[in-house]
Amino acid sequence: MSVAALSDSVVDELRAILGSDYVLTNKSSLFNRARVPAPFPVHRWDEHIADIAVLPETAEQVSEVVKLANAYKIPVVPRAGGTGLSDGAVPVTGGILVDVKRMNKILDIDLDDRTVTVQPGINMLKLNEELRRYGVIYPDDPASYPCSLVGGRIGTGGWSLIGARYGHTRDLVISMQVCLPTGELIEVGDGGGRKIRKSSTGFQLKQLFMGHQGSLGITTEATLELVPRPEAEFAAFFGYPDYETAYRSTGALSKSGLASLAGVVLFDEWKVNYLRRDDEAYIPQPRELRCVVAVAAYGTLAETKPASQVIMSIGKDTGGNYLGDEVSQGDWASRHDRYATPLHGRTPEGQVVPMSWHCEDAAITYSALPMVREEWHAIAKRYIDDYGVFDDWGMFAYTNGAHKPWGDYLVEIDIGIWEQRLDDAMWDAWVQCKREITEVSLKYGGSITACHGSTREGDAEFVPREMGGGFDVMKKIKRVLDPNNIMNPGKNQLDEAYED
Amino acid sequence: MFGFRLQAERPPDPRPVSNGVVMRLDDVYEIDPDRMQIIAQQNMPVSDTLRIVDSRWEHLAWMHDHWADHVLSGEEEEQGE
Repeated sequence: MSVAALSDSVVDELRAILGSDYVLTNKSSLFNRARVPAPFPVHRWDEHIADIAVLPETAEQVSEVVKLANAYKIPVVPRAGGTGLSDGAVPVTGGILVDVKRMNKILDIDLDDRTVTVQPGINMLKLNEELRRYGVIYPDDPASYPCSLVGGRIGTGGWSLIGARYGHTRDLVISMQVCLPTGELIEVGDGGGRKIRKSSTGFQLKQLFMGHQGSLGITTEATLELVPRPEAEFAAFFGYPDYETAYRSTGALSKSGLASLAGVVLFDEWKVNYLRRDDEAYIPQPRELRCVVAVAAYGTLAETKPASQVIMSIGKDTGGNYLGDEVSQGDWASRHDRYATPLHGRTPEGQVVPMSWHCEDAAITYSALPMVREEWHAIAKRYIDDYGVFDDWGMFAYTNGAHKPWGDYLVEIDIGIWEQRLDDAMWDAWVQCKREITEVSLKYGGSITACHGSTREGDAEFVPREMGGGFDVMKKIKRVLDPNNIMNPGKNQLDEAYED
Repeated sequence: MFGFRLQAERPPDPRPVSNGVVMRLDDVYEIDPDRMQIIAQQNMPVSDTLRIVDSRWEHLAWMHDHWADHVLSGEEEEQGE
């Protein structure tokens, strides 16, 4: 698909559906909707441009746009906040980009049944500002909390900083209205009731439309969980002299059984070195501090206060040194908004250069964390030494299971990439580095991605291997729901569904 | 009074804090300018630096208040032991 491929009549039909102001063809509108914050082949920017961008306001407009696209076999790329760290919202075959930012209304607040129904373009921070007057919140809390949108969270199957207590996006969305690739609007949830949390009627379709990276449809409404606004927050950061002690302490804290425990995160030596270099909270820390474990708890005062005593006790009894309220409270508050972090890294000579931010986000079991850490850093070092445009910003391991935070972890290695120096050879090297990192995740029985999605080069080609026989089921579902492969083609290796 | 004294807007000379980090204002850490040869460091009046620091604290306080009514203290827990 190219700009010329969209005929004037299609553009006219889109304008008739949406109004001329909301059909965008100018270069800046399209280029600004090309990439996401993750490292991007900037030297090939023009290969990731949609032919046209549209901004619907209603589900019915989305439906009409998708019906039109399906009739003409034009690719459709759904896009919400564009804050994802994989390529779900990145156009790879042109077509119509459906930007849902105007669909940002709260449709219903039900305090009796504890739900809020919204359009997909609303941001969680803005939603919670509205909900505060009712004493409730929607506790989906990514590191992009101030800028990501509900629709994107659903499309990526998002992970929440406080998921150990409240669950992740998949646990917090009760039901959805979805526009299928044929343009039909359907309701999916647990069974048929829009506000039912648990049902055994039929298939569990809700999860099918969670984390599909826009490949099965566009969420046009969502009914979300409301929980009591926390009375109390507690965050504690502990320092450790070595990784082994910090690792054991992480295990003890995550297995504490505290219901108010919202998350435990382990920062390794590379991460602390990076923070000591560039983060005001860590620069003055003593050299013997080599690893950090952070813990957060939320809830009523009656439960959080005694939980804080238990957390302090476990942290210290397992070798941790409390880093004080200023670091603990300040650093924790900043975790809700990591996209405000200035992104720079260092050349191998130590010079500061602007870098974008790759976050590998595998899901790894607790027992495999030490081995994965060693192997990932070794891979990163080789590429840093060989190419000079990468920087190792360290690793963290963050409790991953909703309500059961003890078994597996979201494990990130953050790698800075000096995009200005990218050319085909450098980009190919990066993709190869990604592949090696992914191989390690699979070797230890992990999953490629805990939250960002497997849509990038270096990830996507491993989806069939990770999914095994399930990938054939994915392909069959894709073909049935999207007979013309218009819905975000090129993602998750699902183009293979049409090769027979 | 309008205007400001230019002299007061110039930060003091940097003093080294750790390897690669300098400090010109209390608790404001900066990368050693020697390590910023590719991307030059921006010169900034003292008032702008302090404004950014204050904004950062306001932002963190706002975020605490956004999420919960009370922020519990680990130091108080330590003292209560």
